[in-house]
Amino acid sequence: MKLRDSVYLEKKRPLFEKLLGELLAKYPFASILAQDAAEKSCRVSRRLTNVSAGGTFSARGFVVKVYDGSHWSEHSFNEISEDLLPGILGEVEATAAMSEAVLPEGVKERVYSAPGAGKLTFSGSTDYEVDPDGLGDEEIVARLTAIRDRGLACSDRLIDCQASVTWNKSHKLYLAPDRDLTQNVMWTTGSVVAIASRGQEIKFSHKGYSVLGGAELMEDMGGEVEKTAATVLELLESEPLTPGEYECVCTPEVTGMIVHEAFGHGVEMDMFVKKRALAEKYVGEYVASPLVTMHDGASVVPETGSYFFDDEGTMAHDTVIIEKGVLKRGISDYLSAMTLGTEPTGNGRRESYRRKAYTRMTNTYFEPGTDSVEDMIASVKDGLLLCEPSSGMEDPKNWGIQCMVSYAREIKDGKLTGRVFSPIVLTGYVPDLLKSITMMSGKLELGGGGMCGKGYKEWVKVSDGGPWIKARIRLG
Amino acid sequence: MINRIIGALGAEGIDTWAITERTSHSCETFFVRRNMDLKRRTSLTDYSVTVYRELDRDGAKLLGSSSVPVYPGMDVEEVRAALREAYFAASVAGNQYYELIEGAGEDKVPSASAFAKMSVEEAARAVGEALFAPDTGDDVFINSAEIFAVKRSTRVVNSRGVDVSWDTCEVRGEFVTQCPAPQDVEIYHSFAYAEPDADALSAKVEEALRQTRDRAAAKEPPKAGTYTVILSGDNMRELFDYYVSRSAAAAVYQHYSDYAVGKNVQGQDVTGDKLTIDLTDGEPYDAEGIRLTDRPLLEDGVVRTIHGGARFSSYLGIEPTGSFGGIRVRPGTAPLSELMSRPHLRVVTFSDFQMNAMSGHFAGEIRLGYLFDGEKTVPVTGGSINGSILEAQRTMRLSSELYVTPTYTGPLAVALDEVQVAGT
Repeated sequence: MKLRDSVYLEKKRPLFEKLLGELLAKYPFASILAQDAAEKSCRVSRRLTNVSAGGTFSARGFVVKVYDGSHWSEHSFNEISEDLLPGILGEVEATAAMSEAVLPEGVKERVYSAPGAGKLTFSGSTDYEVDPDGLGDEEIVARLTAIRDRGLACSDRLIDCQASVTWNKSHKLYLAPDRDLTQNVMWTTGSVVAIASRGQEIKFSHKGYSVLGGAELMEDMGGEVEKTAATVLELLESEPLTPGEYECVCTPEVTGMIVHEAFGHGVEMDMFVKKRALAEKYVGEYVASPLVTMHDGASVVPETGSYFFDDEGTMAHDTVIIEKGVLKRGISDYLSAMTLGTEPTGNGRRESYRRKAYTRMTNTYFEPGTDSVEDMIASVKDGLLLCEPSSGMEDPKNWGIQCMVSYAREIKDGKLTGRVFSPIVLTGYVPDLLKSITMMSGKLELGGGGMCGKGYKEWVKVSDGGPWIKARIRLG
Repeated sequence: MINRIIGALGAEGIDTWAITERTSHSCETFFVRRNMDLKRRTSLTDYSVTVYRELDRDGAKLLGSSSVPVYPGMDVEEVRAALREAYFAASVAGNQYYELIEGAGEDKVPSASAFAKMSVEEAARAVGEALFAPDTGDDVFINSAEIFAVKRSTRVVNSRGVDVSWDTCEVRGEFVTQCPAPQDVEIYHSFAYAEPDADALSAKVEEALRQTRDRAAAKEPPKAGTYTVILSGDNMRELFDYYVSRSAAAAVYQHYSDYAVGKNVQGQDVTGDKLTIDLTDGEPYDAEGIRLTDRPLLEDGVVRTIHGGARFSSYLGIEPTGSFGGIRVRPGTAPLSELMSRPHLRVVTFSDFQMNAMSGHFAGEIRLGYLFDGEKTVPVTGGSINGSILEAQRTMRLSSELYVTPTYTGPLAVALDEVQVAGT
């Protein structure tokens, strides 16, 4: 089934068209992005049950973007009616005219050339099998409760087992002189977390689920709850790792974190504009093993980073960033592409209508290889299997790596020994890691349970992944 | 709109509820080098409604609750539909019973900040002037910056008489400093001010430019091993958040923490500085409308307050303190120079310093550190630290110098012994 249009946005469309018309009578270019996104979560733990709407990606409001012949300005607001239109116009005009009031001494305003693109009309919706709202809160909570109970039944050493699901129905309307675009996108994510303690130290193991769709996701949830519970009990016996460089096999989740944090942020081309990305100097050069081909794109796979057009009215792309080890190109928002003289790649994304658009990743991954996971582990004489990414931070300027994973399993003479180390910090230099990749498994796996920040803010939904990979990595 | 929501609650037969209204106006400016790339303003109003429903499960009295956003411009029927859905959701989210906070109508608390007397445009410009004033060189400079000047009004109303409102003003942002030679490097910095403080921001930029020049000269990571690591500045709040998280009523109730008033959490044989931490906040009320007054969190390493809102405090049978956004940490007696007199690794910037409040584990990749071997100091970059507050807290030493942000007042630096470092 297709997700339906937002009744609210369609009801307000004549007002948006009227506002745009009045703006275009004053300015060479103007656009309106209208958003109506509803999000809801259900979470069950040992002692709490929560069901609430709202959340990071829940929003209803509008952003007007204006080009005055030289400069860009934006006004974000969240109420519109016929009566309010004159006031909104006044706010947009005041924002466009406020340069002198806000410019610090000695600072100029950047001059842009006129925007332009081919005329385009589009309307699209993603598919789903089971509408979570149709399934109902009661049924969802019952299923989550069953998962929690299965987890808690695994051991009385577990402090808790949490099961949760979140779904988001996002509707967007983008109007500009050359654009009339609407899209309706639903994604659903879930997680199971097992928690145990070793004295004051609380350990947890996590399994995430995601789908570009609806509550059909819940069919898969809980299948590995016993494994998640067993893992956290193993972590209670984990040891600290001696820092050093290790031969590592990474699960697809860890591969995804390396793809996203270590390299993906470095090819966001608004960083090229600021001269903040080392990658700009390496286009056309080997930055990874010839085994590596890397994609980003909202249209390339159906996952939580998917959409039909971005928040600047550019249609979604499939961008090949690394091809057989050679850096081919970055990903770009519209204004960065204008500045750099390149084509935008449909990566101009806002946290919501409240925020500025930046170049952002969507679904980012390495293509799979041909090796079997068994052969990969068997090939390691003395190394580690890295599991469960927890967080990472980009360093596009210097390609430093900061990624954390929950634990590593020891591999000796091609076999897992049962010894577990935790926690683990990945560090080092990105190209060193990517060039050291010698094996890749044959299956692509993506996960979209998390979200991505630009530095410490501007959260957007993304997915990342790839195959299992084998590489040499500096660990702490 | 609040009256429309209250009317809709009554029409739906919902007699226990809480409404939060947040109105904000902001001016935002974005810079690449010394060019403004984009200017923005926002004018927003949001409502969040939580509905409560008394439930009977096998004779046990439970309270279900569910929250829902209500948008300006919704008509009565739309509001009623949203509340009806939330009220049903509350029926399947039954938890241990508790009473909402009771209160009365209070006068609005205006912002005492000098920013309140300025427009958001004036505030953004004033901060921009202070930010760019030290940016005079071509060898090291501000690469890019973002400034957000925000005025916010919040009102909390509930069905037990609470009706409080207050204004806040702040200017926050971030900037990246770059030094192209001898190697091209950058460092990220953030700032937040509840009061205009041009001198403090300019001083922060000057220090940032100095550090970035040092990072350009840093060539190698430290050698792998264990070090006395000195942390400072913005990383201090992140480090001490461990104690705030572990003493939260929600964590205690869910058995994620065994903290209790009177528990010595720093250990019996502390040879470093004993921790004394107060909970503070720059806002007069929390999100439930609880009046916030400073509370002692730890005193000489002993828990003095388990903190939280109505729900988890009720579950634990303690006074609801409200939820705090800031801390004040008692400084140590030794100046930073004394902490730095022994061999150490002082890390001034990380890619992202992280403290895991569940495990007590802290880690971060080193963007700039200064390694002192007892004779000379060299800048280092790369590698990472990997430690546990549970192991470090017994010997941690705090500097006597203070560091102040809107959410942290406390020692400028802390020395942590025997921290593992991954390097060459």
